Amino acid sequence: MARTIERALLIAVAGAALGLAGNVVSPRHIPYIAPPKVAPQPSDFIQLDDARQLWLASGAFFLDARAPADYAAGHVAGAYSLPAADFDARYQQVSDMLTLETPLVTYCDGLRCDLSHDITARLRQLGYKNVHILQNGWTVWRKAGLATTTGDQP
Amino acid sequence: MKTFNFILRLAVGGVFVVAGLLKIWDPSSFAKDVANYRLLPDMLVNLMAITLPWIEVLAGGLLMAGVWKKPSALLITGMMAVFLVGISQAVYRHLDIHCGCFGTIEARKVGWKALAEDGVLFLAAAWLAWWHKD
Repeated sequence: MARTIERALLIAVAGAALGLAGNVVSPRHIPYIAPPKVAPQPSDFIQLDDARQLWLASGAFFLDARAPADYAAGHVAGAYSLPAADFDARYQQVSDMLTLETPLVTYCDGLRCDLSHDITARLRQLGYKNVHILQNGWTVWRKAGLATTTGDQP
Repeated sequence: MKTFNFILRLAVGGVFVVAGLLKIWDPSSFAKDVANYRLLPDMLVNLMAITLPWIEVLAGGLLMAGVWKKPSALLITGMMAVFLVGISQAVYRHLDIHCGCFGTIEARKVGWKALAEDGVLFLAAAWLAWWHKD
């Protein structure tokens, strides 16, 4: 048994070594260690009041970073679904409506939820200059009695 | 029994070879799938995405070839156990994420079905690891 485990580990180590070496020559190689996520700055967040003003003036796109099922169960009225876990596929669908200057408000749900931080970072990488995070957005929006809707459309 | 185990060996090994190759084909997508499980610190996500598929291919290939059958089956059992933990916690935490099990060609989401299929694969690998002699 000891020899079996030893050999199993040897296969794992050899496989890992192949992978590490293969990544050097692979045309689709990725960095061994991904650049660290940039944590959002205090200035990246928007207060509920300001978000509400933007919403009332139809001055911003609201983007829901949660899973599609959560979005369908209820979301900020007019918000588009842009799930952090499926960013690339969904982004294609919303990008036509946006310019790099369009004010965007991202949100998910919960004080510790960072899905909105993820999509904000991705959007910034893509060149959007005006992205704001409404932390704990779904909860604070709903508790404030602001307009919400259900279904998989905005 | 011998024939059954021979076929099982090819099947389990084959699944691992295919699953590994599909991930090697598109490492950055697989890295995203790994990250979505929210189990590993960001620092380790890419290292996992780079090394795991090759371990799968190597272990699956050896099992198919009949070289080091017991160790490779044991390693595959271990990997399946880790995958089961990963998928279980994702189901428990209601993470709506892609399985990532076969790279990007599958649209399969994590859920009870993925859990059941991986459970079968785990049992098959465990059986092979137990049955084969050192």
